[in-house]
Amino acid sequence: MGNTLRKVILPSILLILAYGFWISPDFKEISAGVAIFLFGMLALEEGFKAFTGGVLEKILKKTTNRLWKSVSFGVVSTTIMQSSSLVSVITISFLGAGLIGLSQGIGIIFGANLGTTTGAWLVAGFGLKVKISAYAMPMLVFGVIMIFQKSRHLKGLGYILAGLGFLFLGIHHMKEGFETFKSAIDLAEYAVAGYPGLFLFTLIGIFATVVMQSSHATLVLIITALAAQQISYENALALAIGANVGTTITAILGALSSNEVGKRLAGAHLIFNVTTGLIAIVFIHQLLVAVDVISAYVGIGETDYTLKLALFHTLFNLIGIAVMIPFTSHLVRFLERLIKSEPDHYAQPKYLNESALEFGDAGLEALRMETARVYAKATDIIAKGLSLEKEEIFSGTKLKKVIQVRGKAVQYDIDDVYEHEIKSLCSAILDYTNKLSSAEPGIARKVSRIRVANQSILTALKDVKHLQKNMLQYIESDNPDISSEYNRLRQRIAKVMRRLEKIRRKGSGSTSILSLDALKLTLEKNMALLHERMNALIRDGNISADMAISLMNDSNYTYSIINNLIRINRNYLKSEEGAETEAEHMIALNSDEIDSVLTGNDDNAEKR
Amino acid sequence: MKFDKSLKKKLLKKLNSYINEEAEQLQHEDEGLSKVLKKLKKKEKHLKKLVAAERDVDEREMLEQELKIVHSQRKKGIELLSRVRKEDKS
Repeated sequence: MGNTLRKVILPSILLILAYGFWISPDFKEISAGVAIFLFGMLALEEGFKAFTGGVLEKILKKTTNRLWKSVSFGVVSTTIMQSSSLVSVITISFLGAGLIGLSQGIGIIFGANLGTTTGAWLVAGFGLKVKISAYAMPMLVFGVIMIFQKSRHLKGLGYILAGLGFLFLGIHHMKEGFETFKSAIDLAEYAVAGYPGLFLFTLIGIFATVVMQSSHATLVLIITALAAQQISYENALALAIGANVGTTITAILGALSSNEVGKRLAGAHLIFNVTTGLIAIVFIHQLLVAVDVISAYVGIGETDYTLKLALFHTLFNLIGIAVMIPFTSHLVRFLERLIKSEPDHYAQPKYLNESALEFGDAGLEALRMETARVYAKATDIIAKGLSLEKEEIFSGTKLKKVIQVRGKAVQYDIDDVYEHEIKSLCSAILDYTNKLSSAEPGIARKVSRIRVANQSILTALKDVKHLQKNMLQYIESDNPDISSEYNRLRQRIAKVMRRLEKIRRKGSGSTSILSLDALKLTLEKNMALLHERMNALIRDGNISADMAISLMNDSNYTYSIINNLIRINRNYLKSEEGAETEAEHMIALNSDEIDSVLTGNDDNAEKR
Repeated sequence: MKFDKSLKKKLLKKLNSYINEEAEQLQHEDEGLSKVLKKLKKKEKHLKKLVAAERDVDEREMLEQELKIVHSQRKKGIELLSRVRKEDKS
């Protein structure tokens, strides 16, 4: 429905514009002004993006712990960036990351609404009185030169300069367009007085803002039209109210693809702006009196309608904030009730809190706990991927019997579980390890081990996914040789999992890291045995060439799974301890040393 | 280049702390290795007893395999410890 509507609306707008350009060159100039202005805003946003990811985030974190602070932040940042949408986007991203709460987010949005009114002051007070295009040209030249530089910050500065240049150029063209337009058609003739005019022009303001996706652009258009006396002062006020309401449509459209936090923020934005708009419409006469009084007080001329419009814009947003702030907590509760969190389909980290990062050891412990959680989930996935149950693997029942009972292949979507249960956790852990890496070298070494453990978890899961493909086909095969080989692979992995669980349960008192060496030895030994047996099966024609290739590949996957399971445990077992753990890591045998033990051994590893 | 007294003192202090840091690290390693070696010795003894008592051939072979691993680990540990002690003395 939405797509169809978009397909109809866009060509219609283009057609109307093309017709407008054809009949009026002035309209063309005004539209080009709007287009250049919007392009300037895009460039400005691009420029500010180069500076986010550091300074802005730091300021945001520090300045949003109180409502008044977040409102002030919204005002200041939007004044500097001259784009409330950029501030909203950053706010949504911070909300999504959980760095700020909804009430702080709402505070920023309130502030951004006030901050955006400074644009009107700049244009009304400065843009119309000075030959603004004179500033635009050098800005564009310097900006473009800087955009071609390699440094990210210089590039960002270039975009900001070019953006400002385009903004000024756009205003210049709009102004020129309206001035010449005036001689041809007098739009002021279409002015509608009273409440019908108020509602009509509010709707036009909403529409114009939805089309241009920027209240800032609409407001500049209104001011230039007002300066050229193409619209009446009253209608300009209504247009400004409309622009304020219309700008929320942009936020709503943006929030449609966002999560519930973004939707709540867009909801708050809408409620705030509609309420403010309603207040402005209902109390329009009182507001006009207030504007006149304040204008006289600050020295704005009686007929300086552009500055009066800027004042009106600021005033009604200020009233909106004053009215809404006491209800912020109610608003938050209402939005949380209205837009409910979807059931959490993705696992969230349980132990990785930011405050633990301040203390290396606490952070390390949080990492270990979270890794243990991921490992528990991963072993469950591995067991299910092998058409087994973890509880049975860890039980005292003979594994041969467990495999026999679970002889049927059970379909299990590892990709799906990985996506929902593991991926987000592992990326959170890796992110956390990056934050902890700067700590003292001892901790950094342990953190790096935990990182390796997590990487091994991911590799093991990937290998199980590959193994599962043929395994599901062959464990129920009519060919007893291939089915027994695949069951042997299942048993081998299950055996290692059981053994590892036993070692883990022994706890820190034992030499658990060193106990893993025996497992490594068994792994190497079994691999050699499997190759011998596989050669015999191929030689005797008991399995087809296709089966042999599958078995060869899958025995490698099995080797990798076991190897990674051992590596996981080696890297995260007892990573909290000091001297002894380090000593165990020093003593643990490497593959050459394991090989030399192996050569002195006879072969009977698989019998157990 | 002339060294005044306070500078000399400072340099000596820095050198001393540097040497001590290394010695401290070696001491730390010595402690860790000694503790682990004691545990391994215990484990080896225990495994030897288990091997002697085990009647099942397969099980005994597995235990013997583990025993060999522990033995190799102990050998490596002892070598590491003597190296650490040598370094500490020098």
